[in-house]
Amino acid sequence: MNAFTLLLVPSLASALLALLVRPYRRVVGWVNGVLSLVAVGGAIDLWARVLSGEVPVAGDLLRADALSALLALCVSGVAALAAWLGPGVGADDDYDPAQARTFRIFANLFAATMLFAVTTDNVGFMWVAIEATTITSAMLIPLHASRASVEASWKYILIGSVGIALAFAGTVIAYFDFVSLAGRDRLALNWTVLRDAAPALNPQVMQLAFVFILVGYGTKAGLAPMHTWLPDAHSEAPAALSAMMSGVLLAVAMYAVVRWQAVAQVTIGPGFAEDFIVLLGLLSLAIGALSLWSQRNYKRLLAYSSIEHTGLICIGLALGPLGVFAAMLHLLNHSVAKSMMFLLAGRVLHRYRTAEIGGVSGLLRVMPWTGGLFAAGMLAVIGLPPFGMFVSEFALVRAGFAAGRPVVIGLVLALLAIGFVGVIAHLNRMLYGPVPTGVAVGEGSGWALVPLACCAVFLMVLGLTVPAPIDGLLVRIAEIVAP
Amino acid sequence: MDTLFAQLVVLESSLALLFGLGMLWRRGVPAYISAFLWQSLVLAAVAATVGYFGRERELYLVAALLVVVKALAIPWLLRDMERRFASERELAPYVNTATSLVLAGLLVLFAYAIMRPVVAASQLPTRTGLPLAMGLVLVSLFVVMSRKKALTQVVGFLMLENGIALLAILGTYGIPLIVELGVFLDALMGFLVMQIFVYRIHETFDTIDVDQLDRLRH
Repeated sequence: MNAFTLLLVPSLASALLALLVRPYRRVVGWVNGVLSLVAVGGAIDLWARVLSGEVPVAGDLLRADALSALLALCVSGVAALAAWLGPGVGADDDYDPAQARTFRIFANLFAATMLFAVTTDNVGFMWVAIEATTITSAMLIPLHASRASVEASWKYILIGSVGIALAFAGTVIAYFDFVSLAGRDRLALNWTVLRDAAPALNPQVMQLAFVFILVGYGTKAGLAPMHTWLPDAHSEAPAALSAMMSGVLLAVAMYAVVRWQAVAQVTIGPGFAEDFIVLLGLLSLAIGALSLWSQRNYKRLLAYSSIEHTGLICIGLALGPLGVFAAMLHLLNHSVAKSMMFLLAGRVLHRYRTAEIGGVSGLLRVMPWTGGLFAAGMLAVIGLPPFGMFVSEFALVRAGFAAGRPVVIGLVLALLAIGFVGVIAHLNRMLYGPVPTGVAVGEGSGWALVPLACCAVFLMVLGLTVPAPIDGLLVRIAEIVAP
Repeated sequence: MDTLFAQLVVLESSLALLFGLGMLWRRGVPAYISAFLWQSLVLAAVAATVGYFGRERELYLVAALLVVVKALAIPWLLRDMERRFASERELAPYVNTATSLVLAGLLVLFAYAIMRPVVAASQLPTRTGLPLAMGLVLVSLFVVMSRKKALTQVVGFLMLENGIALLAILGTYGIPLIVELGVFLDALMGFLVMQIFVYRIHETFDTIDVDQLDRLRH
């Protein structure tokens, strides 16, 4: 039993349980829910250890510093939300037992691969795990087989696999760089070994490697112009899976970028890596923000907003320690807000039977709590106070000025304003207006709102203050990434 | 000894790239599958050659895995799929053959340009093959992007993986074996999932022409 057991074992156990119990019984869902909370406990334990200055390791394989702890918290938290609110727990969802079983198997494997990706020290295994996330999550997108969902998953698996393959090419080139310097070494793919060797590596080779790595993992993170799979996959997937994909899969891909950035910028020196990251970040922000205007489907609206926020996180990474702090705070905010929003969107879809914005009106009267939370979440997503994203965006702007990039920050603010106006117009249309005929009024399965309301409260807390344990974690991350 | 080694490796790498380029002028999925099969065999030969001259025993295992997974199992599954969709008409790619070949030539030149610092940083006798491996990566990427048939895209993706494997073997005499095994497992699982989806596309759309997949266009 080591520091990682509680984090990694529960999701594997849940997947195994769902695989063995056939036909599916609802108790599997309940056990899955409890086990997912155990994993959250494991993540909190890691968090506490990291804050006390410890860096838990298990052999050469697993290692958790502050960055791993933050991601482990996000992943296990969102996985727990998906476990409690996903198919096969409540009585009134749209899924039959076979679909619930498929969901339980693959969603847990998906969570396990993400948790492994953020706690392994070996960048080769990190790649293997992130590639495996594509496989496990693609199986779940067409849970309701339809033309659109099959198309979305094909796009996802093809573009995702190709992108990830390019990241592997980058990993190989970086490994080549190490081998040419120090000879073959069994541990040469360990991040700690690479980081220690970074100052002596060949900058030109590392530059090439980093381009491949950023494009590759950036594809999974939904960075433009490789983002084309994202709106389709996120809008067609079942709500609980969308929550995991948007809330944490993008974050895990960004995690891989951050790990490599920490090595690459030491080798290459200031300039190249940052400029490239800012370029992709601005492009994503622009495409995300401008696309918000033309959306007619609220799940796609949320998906484009994810591209926008990934772009922001990306830009923050290039703005020195303050920027890394802001980016990681933003990543945490985005995980909470987007998983909550996709789960709420699932409730709206379940009631209205349409994902078209035009088909949804009078949401506040039909489901007052869901509607209220949806509105609050939307305001949080576009960065209004008193929600956390306002704080992280503000911190990012400050970091930008401190890093001497006023032009970038000017563009960021303009694009954020564009996205803001685009979303507000859509939101009004959905919240107010007449209740469409045939749509029942009143909340169903009210208990499911409790965890979602907790998310909203958490976002509000982050909007008022950054609690000391989180602040400590983020400061440590900034020290790791931008020393 | 080293010159023989270097010449053999460059010969084999060129063959691997040539089979990749074959995707551009040949027509029909059976031809693509056999090109991939031969490319995988050549790749296994590269692994064995480097294993022999570089005295890396692990590479023999990699070569054996390459033969079993990429030259036997995957082509067999691909043929099986191909037979089911044999009735489908052949499609013109987004880019015609002549233009494709010119672009592929430029991509190989580009590969030489970007790999210059890499080749310069290496002392290995295999280094001259590195730009060819990168060329294969870029050409395969182009194949995936310019083709309309799901099955052809899958073959292009498999060739992309071959290109990266070639890069790893030539540049570093193979990544650590344990990671290599993980990569193999992923490649196989990824292929199987892609296979499931090709069947699903066929079921839901009655064709594997991805041009028909346009419901979600925005």
